[in-house]
Amino acid sequence: MSDEEHHFESSDAGASKTYPQQAGNIRKGGYIVIKGRPCKVVEVSTSKTGKHGHAKCHFVAIDIFTSKKLEDIVPSSHNCDVPHVNRVDYQLIDISEDGFVSLLTDNGSTKDDLKLPTDEALLTQLKSGFEEGKDIVVSVMSAMGEEQMCALKEVAPK
Amino acid sequence: MFNGIAGGGAEDLPRLQSTMRAIELACSYIQINTNPAAAEATILSFHQSPQPYKACRFILENSQVASARFQAAAAIKEAAIREWSFLSTEDKGGLISFCLGYVIQHANSSDAYVFSKVSSVAAQLMKRGWLEFTPAEKEVFFYQINQAILGSRGLDVQFIGIHFLESLVSEFSPSTSSAMSLPREFHENCRKSLEQNYLKTFYSWALDAALSVTNKIVESNSDVPEVKVCNAALRLMHQILNWEFRYSKGGTKGSINVFSDGMRSDTASSRKTECVIVQPGASWCDVLLSSSHVGWLINLYSSLRQKFAFEGYWLDCPVAVSARKLIVQLCSLAGEVFPSNNAQMREQHLLLLLSGVLPWIDPPDVISKEIEEGRSGSEMIDGCRALLSIATVTIPVVFDRLLRSIRPFGTLTLLSLLMGEVVKVLLANSNDKETWSYEARDILLDTWTTLLASMDGSGGNAWLPPEGMHAAASLFSLIAESELKLASASATTDEDDADCLASVSAMDERLGSYALIARAAVDATVPFLTKLFSDRVARLHQGRGTVDPTDTLEEVYSLLLIIGHVLADEGEGETALVPDALQTHFVDVVEAGNHPVVLLSSSIVKFAEQCLDANMRSSIFSPRLMEAVIWFLARWSFTYLMLVEDCNLGSNQLQSLPSRACLFTFFNEHNQGKFVLDIIVRISLTSLMSYPGEKDLQELTCHQLLHALVRRRNICFHLLSLDSWRNLANAFANDKSLFLLNGVSQRSLAQTLVLSAYGMRSSDASNQYVKDLMAHMTSSLVDLANNSDLKNLAQQPDIIMLVCCVLERLRGAASATEPRTQRAIYEMGLSVMNPVLRLLEVYKHESAVIYLLLKFVVDWVDGQISYLEAHETAGVVNFCMSLLQIYSSHNIGKISLSLSSTLLNEAKTEKYKDLRALLQLLSHLCSKDMVDFSSDSIETQSTNISQVVFFGLHIITPLITLELLKYPKLCFDYFSLISHMLEVYPETLAQLNSDAFNHVLTTVDFGLHQQDVDIVTMCLRALKALASYHYKETKAGNTGLGSHASGQTDPNGVFHEGILSRFLRTLLRFLLFEDYSTDLVSTAADALFPLILCEPNLYQGLGNELIEKQGNPNFKTRLANALQVLTTSNQLSSSLDRLNYQRFRKNLNNFLIEVRGFLKTK
Repeated sequence: MSDEEHHFESSDAGASKTYPQQAGNIRKGGYIVIKGRPCKVVEVSTSKTGKHGHAKCHFVAIDIFTSKKLEDIVPSSHNCDVPHVNRVDYQLIDISEDGFVSLLTDNGSTKDDLKLPTDEALLTQLKSGFEEGKDIVVSVMSAMGEEQMCALKEVAPK
Repeated sequence: MFNGIAGGGAEDLPRLQSTMRAIELACSYIQINTNPAAAEATILSFHQSPQPYKACRFILENSQVASARFQAAAAIKEAAIREWSFLSTEDKGGLISFCLGYVIQHANSSDAYVFSKVSSVAAQLMKRGWLEFTPAEKEVFFYQINQAILGSRGLDVQFIGIHFLESLVSEFSPSTSSAMSLPREFHENCRKSLEQNYLKTFYSWALDAALSVTNKIVESNSDVPEVKVCNAALRLMHQILNWEFRYSKGGTKGSINVFSDGMRSDTASSRKTECVIVQPGASWCDVLLSSSHVGWLINLYSSLRQKFAFEGYWLDCPVAVSARKLIVQLCSLAGEVFPSNNAQMREQHLLLLLSGVLPWIDPPDVISKEIEEGRSGSEMIDGCRALLSIATVTIPVVFDRLLRSIRPFGTLTLLSLLMGEVVKVLLANSNDKETWSYEARDILLDTWTTLLASMDGSGGNAWLPPEGMHAAASLFSLIAESELKLASASATTDEDDADCLASVSAMDERLGSYALIARAAVDATVPFLTKLFSDRVARLHQGRGTVDPTDTLEEVYSLLLIIGHVLADEGEGETALVPDALQTHFVDVVEAGNHPVVLLSSSIVKFAEQCLDANMRSSIFSPRLMEAVIWFLARWSFTYLMLVEDCNLGSNQLQSLPSRACLFTFFNEHNQGKFVLDIIVRISLTSLMSYPGEKDLQELTCHQLLHALVRRRNICFHLLSLDSWRNLANAFANDKSLFLLNGVSQRSLAQTLVLSAYGMRSSDASNQYVKDLMAHMTSSLVDLANNSDLKNLAQQPDIIMLVCCVLERLRGAASATEPRTQRAIYEMGLSVMNPVLRLLEVYKHESAVIYLLLKFVVDWVDGQISYLEAHETAGVVNFCMSLLQIYSSHNIGKISLSLSSTLLNEAKTEKYKDLRALLQLLSHLCSKDMVDFSSDSIETQSTNISQVVFFGLHIITPLITLELLKYPKLCFDYFSLISHMLEVYPETLAQLNSDAFNHVLTTVDFGLHQQDVDIVTMCLRALKALASYHYKETKAGNTGLGSHASGQTDPNGVFHEGILSRFLRTLLRFLLFEDYSTDLVSTAADALFPLILCEPNLYQGLGNELIEKQGNPNFKTRLANALQVLTTSNQLSSSLDRLNYQRFRKNLNNFLIEVRGFLKTK
């Protein structure tokens, strides 16, 4: 996915992209904005500023889109931004030659602006599964104006 | 004679030489690291070749390469242990005497490691044959050894002889013996035989050897070769005394009053420094005590001390170290070795040792100065160890008395001086952690603990002698001052977190020991602590706003910890009583207000109360100080607050003490108790509301303080009547700021509040209380789940946080289920059942929420299941099954596309945690069949739990991949559930369809090949259950496992073997060819026996196949016989009862010993 394609219209367009939350309350597995990027927290440790100072949290987090590792230290009573991470499931209806996919949205229209992952093995599996006529559901994750496919699942035909 | 061992004929020479060359070459290749794999393979195949003895002997005698000789010795051992059962008696003896002869003959050559190896091989073989050799046969070997040790053949041989005994003793001692694939009983019998018949003899031999060289050593001024022999003998003596004596104790142990004669034999306290009590039994009296053994040793060491200036001797030279070790060890001599009623003899013995040790530690200041100037600290540390040993076997009064006959003061005073000196040195070099003073302090602290812990538990009637008390008091004040100095020095340094955590538990232990010292002299130490505390508090107030208080804060912090330890014990889940010393001292106090303990406690409570003021909070009560305050209040209130008089039973004589009454009534419900309780609750609320983000503090408040309060039933009654408690409950239900606590604290707080409902007068009121408390939480979940825009709303971070918080609280409440509040909590769960399923749907990508949902259900079901009536059970079971199905449908076949390996790993871990929770859910459901409090009669149509659980397993097992079973906890949970299900409900398993059935059994097969003994045991138990079920059923004319067992032909015409046949094959292969712990043999026998009975034909076939494979006709017959014996001996019959299982276990053990040796030979 490239940058100029990220302007997606979501049904909750009015909702804010991030929410404030006390740093002490963000746990491992939660989300956080570090340096303007939405991240998933993989490690939280607390320490004090001097022995009799206040607690601060040290976050290690992974950018959910680029997989880059980011770190931040915040006093635990302060607020951090937490991204609004949304996930929507779509049915896969087509894979085009150039690697883009066609997805069926809830209201019956199609969504064609997402590209397949680059991992070869997965790609082959997906394509062959698709050609065999399996139903495939694609989960798309979006946050702070970006979106990306995040999971696939084969559904047994009913 | 067997030609494997005797010298071979000339025709073998070329072959032997070529073997030797091959081994030499391989050894040198390994050394220079050229093609090590091939070289190792050569050596390995040499080890595994049948009867390599002749070649080994040839190599040992002829090879110039030391490592080749080493390998030859190793090969002898390996082959002989393996082939032992079919070696002839002469061969066995021949191998041992060859090894012994070899070391004796080559005693003076170099390459010590080859000799150690050969002599340990001799020791191992001797042990292997120990129970079959006649006394006369053993006598032959030992005569040879004795001759060597006597020294007539030179010092080297003498040394070798002693060295061999060292190997032998270590081989016979269970903790150091080597594995021989024999049952434990064998090792136990060997140990018993050696202990009863030989150990003392060996000791005297060693002693004689040492005596024979003593004069030479004492007279010489330089390093003489005799030192080596002496050192070896001392080491052997030390090793022998280290033996865990079992069989020499008489039956009179119980009748000796261990305290009356001033000696004791308990070892209950846990200490850092190891101090093994030596109890060899009465027969050792003559060797250890009657002769001048101790005197000789002391003299030997003191003459060694004078030689430290000469060449070849120094403080840490091996012989000095060994001598000191032995002296320290003799200090802990106890038990029946002393003739009973002869306390004087013990004291004499200890005094002799103490006077020998005294120069190492006295005068403390001079010695510590010498060490600081560069002398080795090891002698001093050994001196401390000796004191510890003596303290371990004496009571304080005797301990103190020992020194009085040779010094104007008692041993306790010496101990106090010594430790004071060590503490001073420690304070001076506090940065350096690896110094002698650290070690010395730990040992000396252990010594105090050992002495004082015995008094603390003995009803308080044993006090230290006055001088000892004085010594303890002055030592404690020194310790306290130095701790405070350390604290203020470290106040500004930023400690590493990891380092800090590790030292907290170490500190706790240390403070525990300090507290014992303080309690030994409470008359002085409690007022002293009060003064220290009020000094520091005054300093804080004076400097407020002007001086940086950090140093003082850290001092107050330390002080609170120290005082907490002195005043109260860690309850560890039990009610901690007021320490005896505090109950029994202060006899002249009649008014509670003057009781030193009351004064100290009140001053701290008063200080703590000041944190309620916002200004004080910002200037003084730092989060860290609050942690100490909360910790102290938790510990203190558990011991002192609102005591119920009856549960503090002391002796009657104690109860009448007026001072004790003051202490007990002052904080009770009629006096200050309620007032203090109110303060504590208000402080708790403050720490939860006014320290946002201070996770540690909040956890401490919830877990330690509040939780400890509601665990006491009488306190619950008072809590519910307090406004402050109502405020807390109110804030919990409504106040946003308590939603900011972290998850664990939320859970704990909810649990605490629900538990406090016990304080309501009736069950109805309790239920109503819980209902009111949780109504907000449940309704918020229900509202959310019914919201039409749930799908979008749910993803908002603030909603996610709210949901997590509510779920944590529900989980906390669920885990607080008690009979009194069960109804309310059942209804709470019932009302959120649908919302839970709904949330499971919308949060399917939000693993953190999913896990909380699952954990809530797990805890709720766990708390409720045993109370539920039939119709309620059905509802809950249906709910759980929907939960499993929804979870499974979301996760099966899901592939995460994340590019980050960290996130992928996280996802795997999350899945593992989810599955573990689901397995726990199934286990909890299982428990309904075991524990059921419902009022339904047995006849009521109820849910078939076993079917439900198998159905549940069927849903989730596809998610449990073999990959995930590599997580040990998941693996354990899974297999314990499986083995439980198979053992209790084999008939339900039989009804499963073949896919589900096969999946279950594939995992059992997988489990059998795990390393973990527990897992393998569970799988074997499952197999036993399965096979015995089938056998019993078919015998009774039923189908049993039906087509699962008989095997079936698939549509392509290929026949698939039944599962019992498959497992019979697997299990036999496992038992015969794989490596496993001998502990498994009995369990394996229990599984094998019914399998054989189910599939007798296959078993016959497999047996024949095995026999056919053997090339050697001798082995063929042996194997055939062994197989025959396995199923027939011991009157084994074909019924599955206890007796038969037992017989078969025995048979299998013998069978394996008989055949595994040659079956495993390549």
